[in-house]
Amino acid sequence: MKRFIVKRVAYAALSLFLLSLTIFLFVRLTGDPAVLLVEPGASKADLAAVHEQLGLDRPLWVQYGQFMSSLFRGDLGNSFYYRTPVLELYLSRLPYSLLLAAAAMAFSLLVGIPSGILAAVRVNRWWDSAGKIFALLGLSLPSFWVGLVMILFFSVYLGWLPSSGSGTVLHVIMPAFALGWYFAAAHMRLTRSSMLEVLGSEYVKLARLKGLPEALVISKHAFKNALIPVLTLAGINLVIMVNVAVVVETVFAWPGVGRLLYEGIAFRDFPVVQATVLLGGAMIVVVNFLVDILYAVIDPRIRYER
Amino acid sequence: MTRSRASLVALVAAVTLVTGGPAWAQSAGSAAPVGQMTWASHVALAPTWFDPAETPGIITPFMVLYAIHDALVKPMPANAMAPSLAESWSMSKDGLTYEFVLRKGVKFHNGETMTADDVKFSFERYRGASAKELKAKVARVEAVDAHRVRFTMKQPWPDFLTFYATPATGAAWIVPKKYVEQVGEDGFKKAPVGAGPYKFASFKPGVELTLEAFDGYWRKVPSVKTLVWKVIPEESTRLAALKRGEVDIAYSITGPLAEELKRAPGLALTPTFFPFTIWMIFTEQWDPKSPWHDKKVRLAANLAIDRQGVNQAVYLGYSKLAQSFIPQGLEYFWAPPPYPFDPKRAKQLLVEAGYPNGFEAGELSGDMVYGTAIGEPVVNYLQAVGIRLKLRPLERAAFYQELADKKLRYVVQNGSGAPGNAATRIEVNAVSGGRYAYGSYPDIDGLFSEQANEMNPRVRQQLLFKIQQMIHERVMFGPVIEPAFLNGVGSRVAVSGLGLIKNHAYSAPYEDLKLKPRP
Repeated sequence: MKRFIVKRVAYAALSLFLLSLTIFLFVRLTGDPAVLLVEPGASKADLAAVHEQLGLDRPLWVQYGQFMSSLFRGDLGNSFYYRTPVLELYLSRLPYSLLLAAAAMAFSLLVGIPSGILAAVRVNRWWDSAGKIFALLGLSLPSFWVGLVMILFFSVYLGWLPSSGSGTVLHVIMPAFALGWYFAAAHMRLTRSSMLEVLGSEYVKLARLKGLPEALVISKHAFKNALIPVLTLAGINLVIMVNVAVVVETVFAWPGVGRLLYEGIAFRDFPVVQATVLLGGAMIVVVNFLVDILYAVIDPRIRYER
Repeated sequence: MTRSRASLVALVAAVTLVTGGPAWAQSAGSAAPVGQMTWASHVALAPTWFDPAETPGIITPFMVLYAIHDALVKPMPANAMAPSLAESWSMSKDGLTYEFVLRKGVKFHNGETMTADDVKFSFERYRGASAKELKAKVARVEAVDAHRVRFTMKQPWPDFLTFYATPATGAAWIVPKKYVEQVGEDGFKKAPVGAGPYKFASFKPGVELTLEAFDGYWRKVPSVKTLVWKVIPEESTRLAALKRGEVDIAYSITGPLAEELKRAPGLALTPTFFPFTIWMIFTEQWDPKSPWHDKKVRLAANLAIDRQGVNQAVYLGYSKLAQSFIPQGLEYFWAPPPYPFDPKRAKQLLVEAGYPNGFEAGELSGDMVYGTAIGEPVVNYLQAVGIRLKLRPLERAAFYQELADKKLRYVVQNGSGAPGNAATRIEVNAVSGGRYAYGSYPDIDGLFSEQANEMNPRVRQQLLFKIQQMIHERVMFGPVIEPAFLNGVGSRVAVSGLGLIKNHAYSAPYEDLKLKPRP
C-alpha cells in the first residue's frame, strides 16, 4: 500500500509539473500582455517599460524558473492587471465559487438523481421521454443563454430576483440554476443508465423474487449501488463548477474564480491564468488521488495490480 | 514663451477663475451629502487606477482618479485646462520654466495639507505613460516655497502642458508625500489617500469599489454621499441591472441593446465622446506597383463609404463622422472638407485610374471589435464600387503588434483613443519613424520637425494645419467614424456627469453629480 501511495504521489506531482509547464507556455502563446495595458498609440519606450516592470523582458526559461521557485515558496506571483498577489485574489474569490458550486451541485443532484431514477423505473414511458428531453435541453442549451433568459424573465419582467452580483440568498438562485442545469442533465443521464444496469442485475432480480416491495428494491438495493458512479462524477463536477464556471459567473457578475479566470484571459494576465488553472488542476489531481487511494483501500486487487 | 502667449495663459486662468468662480465656490452652505449613486462598469476596476503614478495613457483610470484625486490642472466643464490644485500658472518668455501657484488650504483625505513638496514628489514618482519623455525634457522641479512649484525644461517644449495637464499622463495628479512614504507603494494602492472629492471606503479587485464623500473638498462638498462601481462584464446584464434600478448608470451599451435602452421608459441613452477615431491606412500607397499608389483609387475608397449609414447601423446615429484620422476634439485639429458618399464618382475615379471592372484589393485588417463592427460595412461599401477587399479581423493585441511591426498589408483599419493633440497623433501615424506609420513624405517630415520646436502657438498651429492639409490632399488615410460611447442613465439621476467634460467618456466631475429628490 505504501508503495502504491508513493507511486500515486509521484504521478500527481508529475501531472502538476506538466500542467505548470503547459499553462506557462500556452499563456505566452496568446500574445503580449503589455499591448493591452497601454493605449494602442503607445510608444515603444512605454511598451518596453511595461515589459521591464512585469519581468517579461527576461528569457523564457528564466521566467519559468522564477515562476517555479516562487511557487515552491507558496507565491503565485502578482497580477499584471490588479498588481495584487494572485493567491490573495484567488482566495478572495474562492468562497463565492464554493457557495455557487455547492448550490448548483445541490440543485443538479436534487433534480438529476430523482428524474434519472424515474426515467429508469418508467423506462420507455412518459417519464423516460420527458427525462430524455430534459437531458437533451440541459446538455445542449448554452448556459449563457439560459442565464440571460432567466435575467430577462425573473429580473426584468417579474422583478423577483436581482439581475447580478452577490450578497443575499436571492443572488444565488439564478446563477446556481444556470450552472446546475447542465450538470443536472448529466447526472440524470448517468443515474438513468446506472439504474438500468443495476435493475437488470441478478441480485435485484433475486430481491424481487423474494417478494420485496418494489419501492424497497429500488431504494435499498438498486439505488445505493447505482449511486456510486454518479457520486464519483459529481465529485469531479464539483471541482469543475468551482474553477471553470466562467460563463455563468460572467453573465451574472458573480465574483468567483471562473470570472477571475475570464478576467485573466481577457487582460492576458499571465500570473492569474497560470494560478487559476494550476490551482484548479491541483484540485482535480488531489480528488483523483484520493479516489485512487479509496479504491485501493476498498478493492485490494487494485493496489496489488499496480 | 512670447508675451502674447504668457498674457493668454494668464487671461485664460483669470477668466476661468472669474467665470467659474460662483460654480466652484458652492461649498459654503452646501447641504450634507446624501444617497448613493451606483455604476455598472464595463471594465474590471484595478488598484493601479487609485494611483496616478501608474496612469497607462488611456482614459479609463480617470474614471476613478477624478473621484479620489485631484490635479494641479485638469480638464473640467468648459475648460480643457482648468486650474484646480494650482490657482494659476505662468510660462517664462523663453519657454523654459513653468511656475504653478498652488491653492492654499487644500487638504488630503487624511487631514494633511497639500504643499509644493507633494507636487514635486508626485512628479518625480510618476512612472506611467510617457514618463520617460516627460522626465527627459524636464530638467528639474523645485518647490520654490510651500505654495509655488517651478518646472524647468531642458529646452523649450511647446507640448509640456499637453502632457502634464491633460489625461495624456497622470503626472499632475497629486498624492500626499508623507502618507505614501509611510505606507509604501503597495499600501497606497490598498488604501489610497488623495485630495479629490471622494475618499476610499472599500474595494474588491475586479468586483466593486465604494467611495464616500469628502466634506473637506476645496471646490465644493459633493451632493451624493456614496459612490459605488459594480463590475458587470456582460452588456445585457448591465442593461437589466439599470432597468431594475440596481444601478443608476450603465456604461457601454451598444447595438440592439442601445435601441432597447432608448425605448425603455424612465431611462436615458447618453452618448459621450473621447478623442477616438477609426480610419483606414492605405499601406501600399508608397509602392508604385500597387493600385493603392494611385491617389484616385484612395479617393474612390473614401467616396465609396456611407459613413452616416455606418453610424446609424452601429451607433444609432450618435457617433461623429470622421473627417480626419485626428479626432475633432483634439487641439490643433484642422477640419478638412468631409468626404461625401458618392459611389458613382468613386466608380468613375476607378475607371480613370485604369480599373473599369474594379480590382482585387487584398485584405482589410482590423481588430476583433471595431474591425468587425465597422470593418464589415466598410468592406461591403468598397466592394459595391469594385474595390474587392476581404475582411481579416485579428485579436486586438495581435492586431496592434502586427500593425506596429508593419506586417499588415493592403488596407488596415486602425483606431486610437490616445490623449494628446494633433501633433502627437501625426507623430505616431504620419511621419517617418512613427509607430504606426507605413511611410511618409519628406515635406511633411520637415514641417513636423519645424513645429516641434515652435513655441509660438499661432505659428505652430499654422504648421500643423498645413501638415493636415497635405495629408488630406494626398489622401493618405480613409477616416471613417469617431465612435460615440453609449451609456444608460437611470431615473433617479438628476446630474449624471456624462459629457460635462469634453473628451471624457465617463461621469465627472463627481462633486457635481446629483440625485433627484425623493418624491
